[in-house]
Amino acid sequence: MRRFTREAGLWLLAIPILLWTLLPIYHIFLFSISSKDSAFSGALWPDKPTLRNFGTIVREEHFYLHHFWVQIWNSLWIAVAAGALTLAIATCAAFAISRLKVRGGRTVMNLALFTYFIPAAFLAIPMYKAMGAYELLNSRWSLVLAMVTLAAPYAIWVLKQASDKLPYELDEAARMDGATPLQLFRLVYLPLMTPSLVAIGTYALLLAWNEYLYAYLLLSHEQTITLAVALGHFISADDSPWELLMATGLVYALPPAAIYYAFRRYMVGGLTAGAVKA
Amino acid sequence: MAAVSFQELRKNFGSTQVLHGISLEIADGEFMVLVGPSGCGKSTLLRMLAGLEDITAGSIAIDDRVVNDLESKDRDIAMVFQSYALYPHMTVRDNMGFSLKLRKDKKTRIDERVARTAKILNLEPYLERYPRELSGGQRQRVAMGRAIVRDPKVFLFDEPLSNLDAKLRVAMRAEIKALHQRLQTTTVYVTHDQVEAMTMADRIAVMNEGRIEQLGAPLELYDRPANLFVAQFIGSPAMNVFEGILRDGAVEALGARWPAPKNKGIQGQPVRYGIRPEHLQPGRDGVPAEVVVVEPMGHETELLVRINDIDLIVVMHGRSAHAPGERIFLAPQAANAHLFDAASGRRI
Repeated sequence: MRRFTREAGLWLLAIPILLWTLLPIYHIFLFSISSKDSAFSGALWPDKPTLRNFGTIVREEHFYLHHFWVQIWNSLWIAVAAGALTLAIATCAAFAISRLKVRGGRTVMNLALFTYFIPAAFLAIPMYKAMGAYELLNSRWSLVLAMVTLAAPYAIWVLKQASDKLPYELDEAARMDGATPLQLFRLVYLPLMTPSLVAIGTYALLLAWNEYLYAYLLLSHEQTITLAVALGHFISADDSPWELLMATGLVYALPPAAIYYAFRRYMVGGLTAGAVKA
Repeated sequence: MAAVSFQELRKNFGSTQVLHGISLEIADGEFMVLVGPSGCGKSTLLRMLAGLEDITAGSIAIDDRVVNDLESKDRDIAMVFQSYALYPHMTVRDNMGFSLKLRKDKKTRIDERVARTAKILNLEPYLERYPRELSGGQRQRVAMGRAIVRDPKVFLFDEPLSNLDAKLRVAMRAEIKALHQRLQTTTVYVTHDQVEAMTMADRIAVMNEGRIEQLGAPLELYDRPANLFVAQFIGSPAMNVFEGILRDGAVEALGARWPAPKNKGIQGQPVRYGIRPEHLQPGRDGVPAEVVVVEPMGHETELLVRINDIDLIVVMHGRSAHAPGERIFLAPQAANAHLFDAASGRRI
């Protein structure tokens, strides 16, 4: 009886949370398969579901969608570059601090933590000025660099923690086997860190993919903005094409979902099993 | 193969000195065991030889070449770690061939050497497996294989058997010993287990608090311990030791006279009397004692006896009819008794 009450309680909690999460997504989906006239009908399922909205997007047949492909390419380019650059910087930093035990490593870690006392929004204007000074405004690199700046401290912190869990004897064994620090990094460290690297790479990639504020500030030309910013433009007019906005939003949400699905295997650890005792 | 020489070796961690001038010569092909309680500096000494710890003062030479400033990889030594430290993402084959690959040996040569080593260690069926798919004993053998495959000048073992269960430990002990007899490579082996030290070593260096207490062949240490520390560290069960006064060729202690070795010490000298459990046998007369516990082990029987509130251990061959509470007489063998100076603990 007690178990039953507990389970019933859990279900009572789970169902509202599930609805709370899924309802907006369902709402987006509903809009995206409705025609313009029926979008606001309030029905739970449209009378005549249609995929026309997606066709409009793909063929760039609307004023707001004239640069759809360029913009999604921008988003992709920036996200991948930010992910890769963050990963490269954070991995090297974590390796140097955690494995090579360089002097001042602790200070770097403390500074990395300290950056989180300052909200990213505070730094938006200084960042804008800095990018202006380097004449990077309206270049994809401005957003990439800004995103790396925001993502790197957290990435360093997480990767350092993950590195610390690798047994130090592995490094010593590799040194005895004749490995240089670079070989240790490439042949032992990187393979063992793969799960954490994929997780952190995904984090940075999605951070950049989803970014709005910085993208809005740093990029302003129709050809250079990301799709997230372009989506914002949809609601600049009184008569917004909601069904297209929602359909584009759905398309924009697909890559992150796909990435999560593809890398779900790496999100769990367990690769170090068997390295040392126990 | 090579000889190893430590000269006045010192090591500080911060302001604490953990090795106080160790000098030790290890002969070519010798199996040297460094044994001592935890914190005695034996692992630090080994790691300094491995090049994993800096040398504060003194020098280490391998084959007359000082290696103080050489990287680990340039010292031509191989080490087996307590935790095995196998690369988890590599197969047994790749684990064993890693060092050869790093020094850019040809693939055919690597394959050949790995195959030969796997054959010696009976690892052939496991070459394509990952460490996580192996048992503790197999992992231990892979760790050894990784060392052997390089054909180094010196093997270093850092408590390699302490993660194995008792039965496997005995088996691996014999395996390592046999391996050494076959390869004849100079070996430095660190352990806290005096049984391992006794059974495997050509010579043992007993260490305590950053110093070598005694250096010698296993039975030499057993028969003639240089001081109380070695006397009580080597041998299991440990030597019985108690205080007394030397008088007329015997030690007065625990309300009795204990026969002492001849011509030792000065009349009236306060001493510590040491006698191993197997040199103290029940007899028709001698020192009266009370049996407290009887531990039959089949091939021998251990008696815990009490004299004047002091507990002593007696080991008898075979079985014993004694029962707890019984009063017996103990007959110490004078020739096998040890006398130590009460103040310094040194052998008299």
